[in-house]
Amino acid sequence: MSLVSVVQSIQDSGVAEWMRTSVKAMPIIEAIHVLAAATVFGTIFIVDLRLLGFPNTRRPFTRVSDEMLKLTWGAFFTALVTGALMFAANANTYYENTAFRFKMLALLLAGVNMAIFQLVTFRTVGGWNSDARPPSAARVAGMLSILVWLTVIFFARWIGFTKGYHFEAPPADVDFTF
Amino acid sequence: MNELGASLEASSLSQLIKDVTWIIPLLQSIHIVTIGVVFVSSLMIAMRVLGRMRADEPFPAVWQRFAPWMWYGLIVMVVTGALLVVGEPVREFTAFSFWLKMSLLAVAVIATFVFGRTFAAQGGGGAGASATRADTTAARAGVAAAYAGASAAAGSSGASDVVDATGVAAAEFSPGAKAVAVGIIVVWLAVIFLGRAIAYDIEVWGSLSLHN
Repeated sequence: MSLVSVVQSIQDSGVAEWMRTSVKAMPIIEAIHVLAAATVFGTIFIVDLRLLGFPNTRRPFTRVSDEMLKLTWGAFFTALVTGALMFAANANTYYENTAFRFKMLALLLAGVNMAIFQLVTFRTVGGWNSDARPPSAARVAGMLSILVWLTVIFFARWIGFTKGYHFEAPPADVDFTF
Repeated sequence: MNELGASLEASSLSQLIKDVTWIIPLLQSIHIVTIGVVFVSSLMIAMRVLGRMRADEPFPAVWQRFAPWMWYGLIVMVVTGALLVVGEPVREFTAFSFWLKMSLLAVAVIATFVFGRTFAAQGGGGAGASATRADTTAARAGVAAAYAGASAAAGSSGASDVVDATGVAAAEFSPGAKAVAVGIIVVWLAVIFLGRAIAYDIEVWGSLSLHN
């Protein structure tokens, strides 16, 4: 069972059919996706800033990150589900799309960066938790995280421009009166 | 408005934005990233009002931490937003979603500003940064005393001070103030969804859409 045939069967599924045919589904799912993704970035950005040694350095790192965890994972899960629904609707097209592939790669890199941080750098957190300026390994992880997530968002937006459909432009002679 | 839209559409800046392939996606990407910064900053402040996040910090400190990011972020949003409108002025001006979005944006900004003035400008707004910092130190001492009192009263031992702080912080704001904080977040959510709805204006608003 090749990857291409898996993608095809996703596109042929009932959920995908619903996403394609329901007038309201796609725009609402997409709006939720953008909101969730923006929230993922916003919350991760706060933790990364603390890793970089920026405001509010009074608070220990673990307090900042622990407090944010539920929100970040909740937003990420929402983005994942809505993303999967949108993917399913046009699975073949997205699978072939270069921007989509790079986005997935960037997501993977974000995950790898987080894993390395959790498994390696975080082990020493007792020593630098309350420091205003964490060690360089932590700062590098924070900087990489910000850059990789920005890349994810940029590629994601690029998908919309290379997917091959355009918005409906209003007719030139539209009557605009208050 | 018709003339403004048409003349903007024909302007060389508009042509540039439309012609150079990467300008609109870049503007939109910056717009989305900054939504993250502005929305989450507002959310952090609202969560503090509800006493559910950063409860170990006095409210003015939380406001000082996040409000600047909100205001500077909004400047970025206005600039990227304005350029996006210049890129496709007729599409924006004929969308009911666009005008409703702008109205609600004004509501959110004004409400947030007034909320900050009311609860975070201790000893009068317009005081210098040093004065605010001194007030915050005093506030932090006062808050610490309140937390100490609360945990003594609760007789809790071994419970994290964040848990104790939450109880005190949750009681800090009146139900009305909390409702306003939650309301502002709801308005931001509406602004975000309306931004998306511009592309689907006719489907969303039917006869209300100015496309017709």
